[in-house]
Amino acid sequence: MPETPEAENKDLISRAVRGDADAFECLVNDYYEVMFKMAYKWCANQRDAEDITQEACIKLARGISGYKGSSKFTSWLYRLVINTAKDWYKSQNRHPDGAELIDTFAAEDTKPDEKIYAAQVWEQVHKLPEAEKESLLLVMGQGLSHKEAAKISGVKESTISWRIHEARKKLQAIFGKEQNYG
Amino acid sequence: MDDKKLEEILSKDHAPEIDVNARKRAVNLAMSEFETQKQKKNKNNSLNNFQGVSFLARLIGISNSKRGNETMEQKTKTKFIYGGMATAMAVVLVGGLSLTQLQDTVHRYDAPVPAGSAVTSAPGVNVKNSPTYIPVREEQLSPAYIEAVEEQNENNLDHAIREGASSIPVPIQTPARVDADAEGAKVNPLSDWTRQAGHVEREMKAKPKAKADKRLAPSEKDAAPLKKWSRESGNSPAPETVGSSASLGEFKEEIASTKKNMVPMAQEARTPFGAVPHGRFASEMVSLDDAVTMATAYQDEGRDKFEDFEVNTFKSVAAEPVSTFSSDVDTASYSFIRRQLNSGVLPQKDAVRIEEMVNYFNYDYPVPQSRAEPFKPTVTITDSPWAEGRKLMHIGIKGYQLEKAELRSNIVFLLDVSGSMNAPDKLPLVKNSMKMLLSSLHPDDTVSIVTYAGSTGVVLEPTKASQHRKIMNAMNNLRAGGGTAGAAGIKLAYDMAEQNFDEHSVNRVILATDGDFNVGITNREELQDFVERKRDKGIFLSVLGFGQGNYNDHMMQTLAQNGNGVAAYIDNLNEARKVLVQEATSSLFPIAKDVKFQIEFNPTAVAEYRLIGYETRHLNREDFNNDKIDAGDMGAGHTVTAIYEFTPVGSEAVSVDALRYTTNLKKKGVAPSDEYAFLKIRYKLPMESKSKLITRAITAQDNVDKCPALAKCQLPVLSVDTNFATAVAAFGQILKGGQYTGDFSYDDVIALARKGKGDDQFGYRAEFINMVRLAKTHAR
Repeated sequence: MPETPEAENKDLISRAVRGDADAFECLVNDYYEVMFKMAYKWCANQRDAEDITQEACIKLARGISGYKGSSKFTSWLYRLVINTAKDWYKSQNRHPDGAELIDTFAAEDTKPDEKIYAAQVWEQVHKLPEAEKESLLLVMGQGLSHKEAAKISGVKESTISWRIHEARKKLQAIFGKEQNYG
Repeated sequence: MDDKKLEEILSKDHAPEIDVNARKRAVNLAMSEFETQKQKKNKNNSLNNFQGVSFLARLIGISNSKRGNETMEQKTKTKFIYGGMATAMAVVLVGGLSLTQLQDTVHRYDAPVPAGSAVTSAPGVNVKNSPTYIPVREEQLSPAYIEAVEEQNENNLDHAIREGASSIPVPIQTPARVDADAEGAKVNPLSDWTRQAGHVEREMKAKPKAKADKRLAPSEKDAAPLKKWSRESGNSPAPETVGSSASLGEFKEEIASTKKNMVPMAQEARTPFGAVPHGRFASEMVSLDDAVTMATAYQDEGRDKFEDFEVNTFKSVAAEPVSTFSSDVDTASYSFIRRQLNSGVLPQKDAVRIEEMVNYFNYDYPVPQSRAEPFKPTVTITDSPWAEGRKLMHIGIKGYQLEKAELRSNIVFLLDVSGSMNAPDKLPLVKNSMKMLLSSLHPDDTVSIVTYAGSTGVVLEPTKASQHRKIMNAMNNLRAGGGTAGAAGIKLAYDMAEQNFDEHSVNRVILATDGDFNVGITNREELQDFVERKRDKGIFLSVLGFGQGNYNDHMMQTLAQNGNGVAAYIDNLNEARKVLVQEATSSLFPIAKDVKFQIEFNPTAVAEYRLIGYETRHLNREDFNNDKIDAGDMGAGHTVTAIYEFTPVGSEAVSVDALRYTTNLKKKGVAPSDEYAFLKIRYKLPMESKSKLITRAITAQDNVDKCPALAKCQLPVLSVDTNFATAVAAFGQILKGGQYTGDFSYDDVIALARKGKGDDQFGYRAEFINMVRLAKTHAR
């Protein structure tokens, strides 16, 4: 997870890659939260996110031996979760709609002004094309560089920059340039 | 929006707490998969990338509520089969329609085309996208329509499967068509089919209409080769209509009239398909109707009912110097509009009641000191932002705020649990709203619950609010199903309230419904009489509206207005909290009833005037002093704002010509007076039957620009609220067509509302600004 230093887990990861079951169990337990949060950002729905994370965990078990350490483990996980989420929604023949969002936000009782606005932004993000949403979440949501995001999505860096630009253009059209909430 | 803001929002985690059990399950599944992989690797000593679910993983129990791998696999299979069946079903449906039509026309045309042959004689036509059978008119079976129905049905079936429906809708095989998809279909007993029909119908309703455009686009293309084929085949009995692409509107009418014809047939006994197909389809008609609405994406086609009314026009003061209306503290219109805008359409004009939009917000008017004089009027005059030379007169009153400790209530919840309430934004939301309301009640308050549907029953005998668990249990056991015998429910609810009547508390029936009263007394007047009689006994009625698509606003307004209550529309949990918790005291405790306003304009100062909103609250001049005439009520802390637009004498903006023979005032040389108008407010205290009067002269002193005293102290607050109220009123008028607002645009509304945002403690004003933005996008 982002707050756990990557170095500490290096040992754990390499043991899991080699097939150490105990290490793998620790790893899944540790990273479940990261995966769940990522999945939740993708679908904005707790049950879907749980299902997707579960699926991603199984895929992780299947694929961990293929992790070569050439990219950051979290980046590798993001890719896994996002692909799982995409496949999952495809198999369900529907799209995340962000319908639960407003309730989640409503539950937090801080600054309602901001809250409504944030919920609305999220709702619009979920309406973006999948690729744009993916790039936006990786760069803006996870704080990755365009380069890292490009690696995860398996596209060129310039593609990521373009997608972000497009996504922001769309959001801007809806929310306007100047926004003085809060 | 700037990058930083966006980044801040997107990077913030709003994920709920992790469910420990979900994590455990995931870890276990992953572990077993991990072990399997390892074993396999050891066995083969090669990287055999096994795709699929491991045996061990299957052994680990997965609760039914969680959709694991294996169930998903099955689902994909079943979906395929049922998807095909849905197609067949749609065809049966449409085929049924055509058959009825066919019967009418058999005697007119010598050689009608039998269903089967139509299909087989159409080589090269994509069967899935084409109407299987074109008996009479093409527009009746527009491919776009069929496409929409098919897709919708497929979605519904998917949904049904996901929801774990115990019986799956199985379409009956049709003589019109047996294609490859449908071959796997079993013929199920009819009962299953009809039972499911209700489900499908509800699903249909819940689907947003916005998507329809997208669906139409590709299918319109498919229509082209088909038309060609129909022309070539020459089999069509009505060639003059073939090839002409009738507008969707006409198409809808067509279906609607067919539907009418078919309804009587629904009474017929159900017989096997081959003999009389109509009865079975009658239950499907509603969904058909909805599907058509969806296909046209025309916003006015919902079955939400609103009272039809005309917008107030400018009146000449010389001809009609007195304006009289009743107060209105309802907010239903605003929430309904918000919901419409959020779902991507502009609201229908009759749904926009400007006074309810303006009164949705709380304004900081000075509050009176005692309960004896429950409110005092605040008047502000500003220049009209949308018309030069005109002025706006804001008349605001705020009700006396009661202390929580002095309030007791005896509440009977009357909940609609009919089949139509079975939607996420209805019964579940009702339950949650009621739970919220419970939290704002005093432990000694009494609560009872009556439900109505096909039958009416007492779910909870009067119980103290402190017995939380008991009340919750009763709530949680509510299920939706059956018809809607609203009238019987209301009677029972009033009986309960009377049984437990307490002079010292507020006795109130709270009705929660989507407004469908289709069994029992459905006559509005009759119900209204009943509610009025009970009101005189001291029992109030409040109405909470839920849901969309079948919302009967007219009925709810009638009931609430005559039952001395509030009508609110609840579209989400936020709104529930606003109405039932934050404003619980105003919604529950009346401080004045029959509040009437009368304004007499001074013809020497004002040339003409127009009341913005309150069209449905109009009273006759003589009604003002008649205490027998019912009017609106005010709860503790409620604010009511009325806005007049008027043109001072001498302004060039006068739109009504002066009368030739009554212009004697000017001739006499009377100078324009300082006094614009005279305001009179009548009200009754809740337990009294004689009204009291408050009067106040409205003069140039109330003009915000001219009053130094006001500028010093109250102006900051007042002008903020005034700006905002003006923005809301402008928005409402634009939504209604903007007859008087000139070129005042959505952007002007946003700018004005920003100026009037104030500290906006709960974010309602910010939400309003966003609504205007949405409207702007939809209006393009």
